[in-house]
Amino acid sequence: MMTNTRLFSTNKDEGQRHVSFTFNGMELTGYEGEPIAAALLANGIKTIRTCEVTKEPRGIFCGIGHCYECRAEVDGISNQRTCMTPLRSGTQVSSHSSWQIEEARK
Amino acid sequence: MNVDVAVIGCGPAGLTASIEMAQSGLSVVIIDEYYRPGGRLLGQLYDDPKAPVHQRRWDGKKVTQELVEQAIRLGVQIVCGVTAWSVAPRWKVELSGSEVKSVQAKALLLATGAAEKALPMSGWTLPGVVSVGAAQTFTNVHQVAIGKKVMVVGVDPLALSVAMEMKHAGIQVVGIALPSQSAVTGKLSSPEDALSKLAEAADLAPNPFLRMMGRLVAGSLRKVAIHALSLPLLRLEGIPVYLRKAVARIEGEHEVKAVTLQDVTVQGVPTGREERIEVDAVCLSAGLYPLVELAQVAGCSVTHVPELGGLVPLHGKDLSTTADGLYVAGNITGIEGAKVAMAQGKLAAVSIVQSLGKAPSMSKDDAMHAVEQARDLSPIRFLPQILEGRAIMDQLWQEAWRKKEGGQAWMI
Repeated sequence: MMTNTRLFSTNKDEGQRHVSFTFNGMELTGYEGEPIAAALLANGIKTIRTCEVTKEPRGIFCGIGHCYECRAEVDGISNQRTCMTPLRSGTQVSSHSSWQIEEARK
Repeated sequence: MNVDVAVIGCGPAGLTASIEMAQSGLSVVIIDEYYRPGGRLLGQLYDDPKAPVHQRRWDGKKVTQELVEQAIRLGVQIVCGVTAWSVAPRWKVELSGSEVKSVQAKALLLATGAAEKALPMSGWTLPGVVSVGAAQTFTNVHQVAIGKKVMVVGVDPLALSVAMEMKHAGIQVVGIALPSQSAVTGKLSSPEDALSKLAEAADLAPNPFLRMMGRLVAGSLRKVAIHALSLPLLRLEGIPVYLRKAVARIEGEHEVKAVTLQDVTVQGVPTGREERIEVDAVCLSAGLYPLVELAQVAGCSVTHVPELGGLVPLHGKDLSTTADGLYVAGNITGIEGAKVAMAQGKLAAVSIVQSLGKAPSMSKDDAMHAVEQARDLSPIRFLPQILEGRAIMDQLWQEAWRKKEGGQAWMI
């Protein structure tokens, strides 16, 4: 799946290493050091969380940390902006926090 | 942490400034919220026809790497992934996301850059809809496609450049169209206005096809071009540019599945005819605005100059502000390209070095001249009236200065 959306480039970063990580329990791979949002998108994942109020799906919007739409729980810390949080080997990403808030409100 | 100068923003302006300041013997720390240095320089990749032959290729990643290496060699501390959430006079910078909670500095340089304006429309919160800047970052920096079939909304030099960059990277760009008329789009939805903006960008565009588009709508051809609006469409390297169709809404239940285009008149008024195009991603382009929040928090006067991109800190030609020891450089002063930001970074550094009693590598006059030269040589002009905007700021600054001399406080 990953090769589908990875682009060829003449100015690629050197020394990128494949690492494993999880998203909502799913085993995925990405490049170490790239933003988690990029690794998710490379795996075909566009929906990162649901809106706490409307429950609508949300994903990457601005890509530079300004809009806060791509937030997720990363290794137990909630509301991390995945567009500027580098991927590490074994990183656990989940959109559970927002869903838990939603459940708690019911 | 104690330093001579704290710089907020590790883009072209902040990096260039830090090098000049460190060379003059000042201790410098740069703070940036992003996980790596470079700011918007990272996403830039184009051929600059105005540059000397051996410097034509502008690879923002490479330029960043060279600047970072030089800065580090000179002892500049670069702190990434850390947010500067407040600044207070003479000068304390509050940090989050790091062990060090604050920085004390004799002078502060705000090189915070710009952010993108929103372009709200029906369906714009669906996953798969991204800003044009995000499309550029994911294409050129992360090298991940934002989609397989992409529609670009907004006809402006940045949108056209990013559309071509995506196409060159192998993404199918199905078209570039204007946004529909709404309370927020205003002039953005006018085909005539879009054409005249493209005309103003002619000869400055980094890509020959963009220049061709610009010339098509420029000067004596302008009337012909307006007439050409009645033609079905223009093409930019094979990408359809719909000047008489506007994106009415983005559709999809959980993610983007399609856009609906509607035919519009030369003034942008819908005629009633609609068509649906299947896509899996949409890029929205509405322009940039300077990021001035920290200048406001610092108690620096800000003023609205639309020709510069919106609200900007009141600043002098030497890039000092109304707050003592606070300087600005780069897009926080007005929306321009990286080369202007770099020249401004150097100028702000010269001003700071002088104010702290050290000897800069060049005079303020020479540094100011270098900014003007960089502007003349810029391959892209984001705001057509940037020169007028700079002149307005100079005038406002002088007026404010006179008022201060007369014993009045700075106007806020």
